[in-house]
Amino acid sequence: MYRTKEKLGNFTAEDAPQYEDVLQCMRCGFCLPTCPTFALTGRERSSPRGRVALARAVAEQKLEFTEAVKEEAFFCLDCRACTTACPSGVRAGEVMEVCRSQSHQQLPPPHLGKSFRAFILQRMLPDPDLLEKSMLPARLYQRLGIQWLVRHSKALKLGPAWMEKVEGMLPQLAAPLRPQLPELIPARGEKRGKVGFFLGCVMTLLYPGVSRQSVRVLAHQGFDVLTPQATRCCGAPHLSEGDRQTARELALFNLELFLRQDVDYIVTDCAGCGASLKEYEEILEGLAEHDRLAAFRAKIRDVSEFLAEVGLRTAGLTAVAKTVTYHEPCHLCHAQGISRQPRELLRRIPGVELREMAEASWCCGSAATWGLKFSAASQQVLDRKLNNVSQTGADILVTANPGCQLQLAWGVRQAGLKQEVLHLMELLGAATPE
Amino acid sequence: MISKTAIEHLQQRLGTANVAFEKEDLLVLGYDSTPGVHHLPEVAVYPTSSEGVLAAMEIARSEGLPIVPRGSGTGLSGGSVPVKGGMVICLNRMNRILEIDEENLAATCEAGVITLDLFNATAAKGLFYPPDPGSQKISTLGGNVMEDAGGLRGLKYGVTRDYVMALQCVLPDGSLLTTGGKSVKDVAGYSFKDLLVGSEGTLGIITAVTVKLIPPPQARRTFLAYFDDIRTAGEAVSKIIAAKIIPSTMEIMDRATINCVEDYVRIGLPRQMAALLLIEVDGHPAQVEEEAAGVEKILKAVKAAEIHVAKDAEEAGQLAAARRTALSALARVSPTTLLEDATVPRSMLAETFAEIERLTAKYQLKVGTFGHAGDGNLHPTVLCDERNQEEMARAHAFYDDLYTQVLAWGGTVSGEHGIGLAKKEYLARQIGAGGVKVMRRIKDAFDPAGILNPGKIFDEHDPCTQTHVEEGFRVSH
Ligand SMILES: Cc1cc2nc3c(=O)[nH]c(=O)nc-3n(C[C@H](O)[C@H](O)[C@H](O)COP(=O)(O)OP(=O)(O)OC[C@H]3O[C@@H](n4cnc5c(N)ncnc54)[C@H](O)[C@@H]3O)c2cc1C
Ligand code: SF4
Ligand code: SF4
Repeated sequence: MYRTKEKLGNFTAEDAPQYEDVLQCMRCGFCLPTCPTFALTGRERSSPRGRVALARAVAEQKLEFTEAVKEEAFFCLDCRACTTACPSGVRAGEVMEVCRSQSHQQLPPPHLGKSFRAFILQRMLPDPDLLEKSMLPARLYQRLGIQWLVRHSKALKLGPAWMEKVEGMLPQLAAPLRPQLPELIPARGEKRGKVGFFLGCVMTLLYPGVSRQSVRVLAHQGFDVLTPQATRCCGAPHLSEGDRQTARELALFNLELFLRQDVDYIVTDCAGCGASLKEYEEILEGLAEHDRLAAFRAKIRDVSEFLAEVGLRTAGLTAVAKTVTYHEPCHLCHAQGISRQPRELLRRIPGVELREMAEASWCCGSAATWGLKFSAASQQVLDRKLNNVSQTGADILVTANPGCQLQLAWGVRQAGLKQEVLHLMELLGAATPE
Repeated sequence: MISKTAIEHLQQRLGTANVAFEKEDLLVLGYDSTPGVHHLPEVAVYPTSSEGVLAAMEIARSEGLPIVPRGSGTGLSGGSVPVKGGMVICLNRMNRILEIDEENLAATCEAGVITLDLFNATAAKGLFYPPDPGSQKISTLGGNVMEDAGGLRGLKYGVTRDYVMALQCVLPDGSLLTTGGKSVKDVAGYSFKDLLVGSEGTLGIITAVTVKLIPPPQARRTFLAYFDDIRTAGEAVSKIIAAKIIPSTMEIMDRATINCVEDYVRIGLPRQMAALLLIEVDGHPAQVEEEAAGVEKILKAVKAAEIHVAKDAEEAGQLAAARRTALSALARVSPTTLLEDATVPRSMLAETFAEIERLTAKYQLKVGTFGHAGDGNLHPTVLCDERNQEEMARAHAFYDDLYTQVLAWGGTVSGEHGIGLAKKEYLARQIGAGGVKVMRRIKDAFDPAGILNPGKIFDEHDPCTQTHVEEGFRVSH
């Protein structure tokens, strides 16, 4: 879709949308009611149809690649609800993702922002060791109780607005999971196969407990679980920020690493990573052999998709007598089309009663760094979600992506709701005996 | 060019957030769902009340700007495309349901309310608003009224016109007109309401609509019938009507459409079939029993290849939803979907399918046909590429021939999408120069300065100079 080398209208040649992709939109508007940013503004240009029309205008040289196009590219949540809704197969979110990278070529940000961004994306994220060390101060800070002090004084009000939010969102941090996790965890009970586990950056750093449950559940379900220590960031943050070059380098690395392993499947419990891994086939097109890309793609599974596919063994599970409602991560339901499977698993956990919330697949407003960049808008999107959550009266709010979990846990706390916010694997882990 | 002071004036009266004049905002208001038309306005406003509409109208008049009302831009004849530039008035921020009056079985809402939202709100009170265009999730009530939108239930329950009780409307002279009311009978003078319905935004801007509600049917049954030959499907429809059974829905899709829809919805529609009919009967349980039996008997008699009964309301809803995506799903195949709105007396359905097949072969085109078969309202859609001039010319010739035939059979060039920009030429063919002349006089009476949605339905210049136009006029309804 995106590796054009020919210059398309007012796009630069590198990573431009393809003309066919924007021409495909027949402007029916089916996507409009599914778009959170259109719901917020009622402004056509902040709708999928409008965004594609802007890209088309740039492609047809009716418009320069302007600041407003850049603004729309970053204001788009990349939630892909529009992709699910579009009968014609238009992918407005992805077109905007490409426009983000265009904006770095055409309208570079001021120097300071640029180097900060480059530092995070090109230095930190690709290097797991560095990333883990960098979280140390944050952990110390929590342990020593400074966090409590800072939270309760007004000190944070002085910093940039997003700092306060980040601070408030951070869960209680434990040591990163990656160095602790054995490379191979053997299957329990009757063996059903061997899976590679793709441990995402956010999971190991912010939610080590979740992935710990994931690998434990997988082993309990009869799979040898291999977690390659060398795994690097999946590249999702880079795609989201428009750094497609680094994303490709990371993708190539992970592709080669995992193809070297003798595993039947590659499983992840992070919806964002899963979506990104499944898109390697596209971003690496022409950079890796087609067969290798196809072989890799065929192995990727979200953990819920995987367990539903192989069939959850329920014998020996302990009951969890709770009512549960499920929030669908955009990168699970819209980007990967996985909607039925997590619910199926929930229904199979003994004791669990699933209560559907309205608009379960509507974004929670987190969307990588979107929630920080547009914090007021994010709050509105979150409020809509929390309202739907509280209507269900369920005890537990389950989701399946760290970004959503951070946002929802924070939102629930702020709003004083009663729900406990868990990853699906934490719930399944609770039902799985030691 | 609109002046800076006019923009400031608009910002003062409507609020800065409700006025847009950046190129990027204007670019995306230059289209609706009609292929191949794109014209930029100079300014766009998003009023949040009728006072806002009045203010915008006043400022546009003093600036001499043409005014184009816009709902959700799902129109399929170019009605909300600002061909002459000027000001687009977007009504989608006027989206409050003002009242659901259970005593009078009526609902009043602002013009920008989404059709499905009204349906859901009334259904929550045990009432029923039947009009359900394929675009119901997106289109606005104002847009529905202005296009007199039909829908999947049109066969039994009629079209938007049949439900409009009252309209609140800003006229081009700056006055606010309320026409109609909650009385079910009303013959006080000319029926402005009926004139406004279907006027495609050329006579006034609707700010609020009062619609009639009815009790919902107690029972329904949904069938899916497949055919090896699309003409047999047409025959089935004619026979069901002739048997004096009026289902609520009789929708058709041909093979191309079935395949595109299946590519999107993946619910297991049979790809090899030549056509399918989605049929729904509803009403009192006993009546549903009887009509369903009648429908089934006819389907068997014409030798439908397969008959499937939806197992529950959820499946029935899924099938209707799938049908609603037909047009957009066809757009998977080609960049441009040129859809038409040919409508024939129902006894001519089978012949119409045969004619579409003949012309498809004659002009070597890819065509997908679907539509409201029960109403005789078909949407043969040419799947083409607007960059290919030669192909577009063939598509045009295709429609030309088709409409000639449709008119000869006593049909109409538009069943529900209106004339807008797309079918002006055909309108003149259908109603003659005399008919167009009367319409223009009516337009002049409402809008003497010609500032409201100019260039729609008929050209501003004298239609008598057009070719093809016969003298005299024929009433088509
Ligand atoms: C996928 C798809 C399926 C469709 N299915 C059907 C169908 O089954 N049946 C059917 O009839 N149509 C159908 N349509 C056509 C279209 O949805 C209808 O014509 C609809 O009523 C238009 O509503 P809108 O709010 O989008 O209006 P717009 O397209 O914005 O405007 C339509 C016209 O009304 C005028 N207008 C809009 N609001 C106002 C107002 N408040 N006051 C004055 N003028 C106004 C505009 O100037 C324009 O002339 C379909 C369209 C699509 C894309
Ligand atoms: S993106 Fe798809 S759903 Fe949205 S207007 Fe275009 S074709 Fe329709
Ligand atoms: S990806 Fe989400 S936010 Fe972006 S245009 Fe699509 S629906 Fe809107």
